[in-house]
Amino acid sequence: MKTSTPDQVEIRIPRRAEFVRVARMAACALASQLDFTYDLIKDVELAVGEACANAVEHVCDEESNEIIVRFSIDPTQLQVEVLDRGQGFDPQGAAKVGSGSIDDWDDPGGLGLVVIREVMDELTVECDPTSGTCVRMVKHRSR
Amino acid sequence: MTTPLKIDARAEGKETAVLSLAGEVDVANAAQVRDSALKLISSGVKRLVVDLNATEYMDSTGLGMLVGLLKRMRESGGDVLIAVARPRVKRLFEITGLIQVFRIYDDAAAALKEVRG
Repeated sequence: MKTSTPDQVEIRIPRRAEFVRVARMAACALASQLDFTYDLIKDVELAVGEACANAVEHVCDEESNEIIVRFSIDPTQLQVEVLDRGQGFDPQGAAKVGSGSIDDWDDPGGLGLVVIREVMDELTVECDPTSGTCVRMVKHRSR
Repeated sequence: MTTPLKIDARAEGKETAVLSLAGEVDVANAAQVRDSALKLISSGVKRLVVDLNATEYMDSTGLGMLVGLLKRMRESGGDVLIAVARPRVKRLFEITGLIQVFRIYDDAAAALKEVRG
């Protein structure tokens, strides 16, 4: 599997909650073939699940009924892109956590982003009103 | 393989109940858990112990659902206590800061002991 050109696997799932598990299972299967520990495999699964769940919950184009999950594997990293036609994560989500008072938790909607940031090595979110959202996540392989 | 969610609710006295969640709590079934909890609350439960020690996977949708339940309970003078010792599930509470918001115990027995004083 170690080549100079990234190996790519792409799956398309219906934009429905019950199919998020399919993307998670694909993430597990792929990460299991790399040199990741059990905990790192479960981290990748969690991150993919969070990104797909967000795509299910925040779609803005009702005509778009699918989520694309694209895995790119090279000798240094596993990159996962989750693409959909939704409005994406709330970029202020990270600011909502950390308070010990329940009164400060009016909207827990940014939690997914906080989780992905913690469990993956890199995260970028591109939101475009017309083309939708791309959540790009990277897990480095051991060097 | 993923594990289907199994919800078990049991009364522990007049105003206390334990809601045990086995399997996976995610975007596909968090509403099902919320509905089970709301049923208990509407029956008069004031203190709800959510036992996550058989929960194999939880995502932020599940966390958000628990936050919603906690807000509702505390507004009416009640509480939601969490029983969790599984590192991967407990870690979610740590990552998000919710470990400071919920009263968290290693198991349901410890949570119930606290409730009963």
